[in-house]
Amino acid sequence: MNVVASFLINVAAFAVLAVGGGLGTAWYMMESGSRLSTRTLGPWVTWTTAGRPDSDPYTRAHTSRNALLPISSTLELTYIASTDSNGGRLHSACEYAIVMEDPEIAWWGIAAFDGRGGLIQNAAERYAFNSETVMREPDGHAVITLARDARAGNWLPIGGGSRITLVLTVQDAAWAAASMERGAPKPLPEIQRVACR
Amino acid sequence: MKAAILKLPRWMRQIGWRTVVGAVLLAGIVHITATLAVPLLGPGNAFRKLRETLPANQMVFLPPPTPNTQLLPFVAADALYAACRFDLTSTPVAVSAVLSDPGWTLSLHTPQGDNFYVMPAQQLRRSEVSLVISPASERLVDFVSSRRFSGDDSQIESPVTEGLVLVRAPLRGLSWRAETEAKLRRASCTPVQPKR
Repeated sequence: MNVVASFLINVAAFAVLAVGGGLGTAWYMMESGSRLSTRTLGPWVTWTTAGRPDSDPYTRAHTSRNALLPISSTLELTYIASTDSNGGRLHSACEYAIVMEDPEIAWWGIAAFDGRGGLIQNAAERYAFNSETVMREPDGHAVITLARDARAGNWLPIGGGSRITLVLTVQDAAWAAASMERGAPKPLPEIQRVACR
Repeated sequence: MKAAILKLPRWMRQIGWRTVVGAVLLAGIVHITATLAVPLLGPGNAFRKLRETLPANQMVFLPPPTPNTQLLPFVAADALYAACRFDLTSTPVAVSAVLSDPGWTLSLHTPQGDNFYVMPAQQLRRSEVSLVISPASERLVDFVSSRRFSGDDSQIESPVTEGLVLVRAPLRGLSWRAETEAKLRRASCTPVQPKR
């Protein structure tokens, strides 16, 4: 009896470790990435070889699994944030301020989505800003406010009582190359939580 | 160490080291297989989602992204898009588009999402681009009619016979929407007829 029990325990442990461990670690590497495939700057995470034909298998799996069509990271970098600069999870119940200072970037866009990448329904039908549409301060910087209710200036509505994901797209080959160099990454905007309900 | 092992529940102490080592090795194989299989077999990639919407070798002006019309996740709604599913099985495909402002791009993607060619607006001397996509092994000279395509057409070798052309046109504001849409609608995607 002891031998049978021991055999069954070993078989169960083998199956759980092999299948669960293999699939679990693969899922983690595809969804969250690691230092092998992503780069983190404050709350922003980018898949360093996204879109490139020579991208690593985790990046390729991440792209495919999430139905993304990224432009090659040699030209355009896509940064994703699901937390603010203090590490708090972005949520539609809160208000956030993002300061964009971009004198060197050729083109950028910032968009808010729900946690699954869907656009957030709002009466203003406003879902994103880019370097052409944003209103700037006299010194060139722009402040984008994420809030449920209308705000003056660059208001990006977030509602629906759900988690928020911000996507910052930077299209500039020189900037992308400089950002990928080790040592001194290009600064990205901070996401400051202003208030929560 | 021995004391720590003795503290484990009895059923855990029955798991042999050979079982653990074998399971870790198999977990590695499962991990690698799953990672490599997702782009090939995963049901949710962008190409599969768009395939039904896009007839072969024809540029389609996609509906402006809204919460109700969004075709793919994380697609910015401050841009308009045109897409073409190219199929090089029988003939190369000619693509042309106007890339007028910063942020406009014309990109070519494999079904797995790899972007094997991209043309951004700001690097161009002129805003109109035209290119011919052919299979990597194809001799384009047999196909291209000299009357229709000039020497200015870029010739792009595709690593796949089927994929996506995507033209992205960021909006500069509501006032420019009609103008942006008109420029985007000039994008075309047509099969190249062989020489007679």
